[in-house]
Amino acid sequence: MTLFHFFNCAILTFGPHAVYYSATPLSEYDTLGTSVKAAVVYLATALVKLVCLATFLQVSESEVFDPYQEALKAMIGFIDVAGLYYALAQLTHRNISQNHKFQAVGLGWAFADSVLHRLAPLWVGARGLEFTWDYVLQGLEANANLVFTISLAALGSLMWLRKNKPKSLIPIIYTCAVIIATMPSITSYLKRVMGWHFPKIVGFELVTSLVMAFISCQLFILCQRPSL
Amino acid sequence: MADEKKSKQRHRVMVLASMYPVVALMLILVACVELCDAATVVDVYRLIQYDISGVPFGSRFSSLNHHAASLSFQRGADLSRSVLILPLRELDIGFVQDYISQKQSLGGLLILLPQTFRPGNVGGGSQSSENDGFRNLLAQLEKLLVHGNIPFPVYFAFENEETDAMLADVKKNDALGQQATATTGGYKLVISVSEPRKIASPTITNIQGWLPGSRADGDSNQLPTIAVVASYDTFGAAPALSVGSDSNGSGVVSLLEVARLFSILYSNPKTRGRYNLLFALTSGGPYNYEGTQKWLKSLDQRMRESIDYAICLNSVGSWDNELLIHVSKPPDNAYIKQIFEGFSNVAEDLGFQVALKHKKINISNSRVAWEHEQFSRLRVTAATLSELSTPPELLENTGSLSDTRQLVNEDAIIKGVKLVAESLAKHIYGHQGKDIKIFADDSSLAVNPFYVRSWLDLLSQTPRVAPFLSKNDPLIMALKKELEEYTAEVSVQHESLDGSFTFYDSTKASLNIYQVASVTFDLLLLLVLGSYLIVLFSFLVITTRGLDDLISLFRRPPSRKVKMA
Repeated sequence: MTLFHFFNCAILTFGPHAVYYSATPLSEYDTLGTSVKAAVVYLATALVKLVCLATFLQVSESEVFDPYQEALKAMIGFIDVAGLYYALAQLTHRNISQNHKFQAVGLGWAFADSVLHRLAPLWVGARGLEFTWDYVLQGLEANANLVFTISLAALGSLMWLRKNKPKSLIPIIYTCAVIIATMPSITSYLKRVMGWHFPKIVGFELVTSLVMAFISCQLFILCQRPSL
Repeated sequence: MADEKKSKQRHRVMVLASMYPVVALMLILVACVELCDAATVVDVYRLIQYDISGVPFGSRFSSLNHHAASLSFQRGADLSRSVLILPLRELDIGFVQDYISQKQSLGGLLILLPQTFRPGNVGGGSQSSENDGFRNLLAQLEKLLVHGNIPFPVYFAFENEETDAMLADVKKNDALGQQATATTGGYKLVISVSEPRKIASPTITNIQGWLPGSRADGDSNQLPTIAVVASYDTFGAAPALSVGSDSNGSGVVSLLEVARLFSILYSNPKTRGRYNLLFALTSGGPYNYEGTQKWLKSLDQRMRESIDYAICLNSVGSWDNELLIHVSKPPDNAYIKQIFEGFSNVAEDLGFQVALKHKKINISNSRVAWEHEQFSRLRVTAATLSELSTPPELLENTGSLSDTRQLVNEDAIIKGVKLVAESLAKHIYGHQGKDIKIFADDSSLAVNPFYVRSWLDLLSQTPRVAPFLSKNDPLIMALKKELEEYTAEVSVQHESLDGSFTFYDSTKASLNIYQVASVTFDLLLLLVLGSYLIVLFSFLVITTRGLDDLISLFRRPPSRKVKMA
């Protein structure tokens, strides 16, 4: 029975990635290689982030929100963005249209993130007899993360891969990218200063992810118009 | 085209083949599912399990893995797969009695005791009537459980916030008649211990201390001896909690204090009396004073014959005005008269009464109710000083769970010590009839209340059931060391408990309380997730490839058939 719960949470956490891959034209164009490369880049980025965090950050016992620590964490978070840039722009991919490239990269990135951050707690925690809602919420968070990552990849591809962009849209693109990149800091701020509990934070993340996805979609379509 | 297809197929077959060992490994990992740490872990203490001459008593099982149920269950519900949680505050003795006597099957029983019964809980000195009521209830429950043969595990635990919260939840759900439908409501209690095994050869340890008197002209062995004896082990419903403050912690403390006072007197050759003093801490008290019998038999015959009389101390901690001296020789015996007069004179001076009670020994009956009976069977004059008026039954008044520190009154012990010390001194120094107080307060020989209190506190936190005490148990070492300070020679005797009593181990365990969700919940969740993934899939297909593609996914098989035809 408890393995049942583990199975449920696992399909909630990792199912959407597989569904996304099979439902969209990504599977037709066989972009698995791109996703795998993106996952490897994510692993390297995570290692670099870890080393930086260990070197520069002080571990505080209490849950107090320290603005300097949080600013430092946000700056280290931008290493994420740098990694995504590397995966999008620098790696050579097979001839895939830009449309699919950012999707594949975002998917691989989000999948690696989920596996790294959520698989181990799930395996250890969800199999026990004790029931908590934590793992279901974690799965929902993974879904929100997927949407965030794909939006960020979309905006990233707009920023770095598309040369002709309407001037008026550039600041909006950059603002949205910054918002998405600093999501971890925003959630930790909410958790510590405002005292929100996990379910509320997950709800907020889901809503924000949908909003951001909608905005990035619109931006992408708007940017595509001149080339058509 | 065909070649490509074939190579693709081969590739797929190879991939699948390489997956097999991975799958096998996963299955192995899955098979060893470790139980996670539970949200709540509580210390629990098991009911004693023992046999008398092969007849089983107590709880016969130890491991537990069932859902929790409370007293508000629906009538006629099947509890054979549930653990019944009974707080002492709401206990109905009749209900438990019915359950045991009718041999109804139950998964297990968990009795929650108020925190005041926890050994070491010295606070709350005032005995409220509520606590008295609980004490009586607990004593009744213990008697019922100890003398019954219970085919399910029985555990005692102390109330705390977590158990209270769990019990409230369980009651709420039981009242609704449901087991575990939603996420909160079902609790699973798990105690995973191995099956209890017999304790191979339980040892009982007697500690004796010898304080020699001053020899006038001859051998000190020819001097008469007075013995002061107390048994220090206990027996109760939960061996890990049987601290027996009154029975017989009070006796042990009194003996130690008397030994201390007389060691001061005997340390100076001018005040050393013409009597030897023999102090003995015996074990095996609840089991017909087997330890005392073995100790007496091991004594040298000359030594035994030199014992003038022996005073046994048994439960002297919670009396007010009257102490009783129990004897087995008839009261008109000269020796008995002398002893009793000495004691009652001292008692009068100290402001309370002493009464004499005679109980004849029945040689054919193996039951030994008082410790002095073992002396009398070997023709040594002896008496037991006790607050109990009736001889206790087998395994009664032997330091049960309800016998905690709050039951004992230090002043009663101090009065008892004064009584014994003064009476012995009067006999030793020949001051009968004279109004002399040797151990007066504010003198260097005063009874030390702090000594009494510290030893009493120590004994009230140490469970002392003899089969579970090893030969070198810290308590035995401590008692030996203490006697070594006050007496000249200390010897420790290890014997094994006779065959008629058999004990089983596993007295303490950890209870894991898990909050579990039912299978229906998991199925529901699976349904929801499945539909979510299907909706997500269709949404993505529609938005990226168009609605036609989605429909075409479902129409493929018929189109193939059409092609073949």
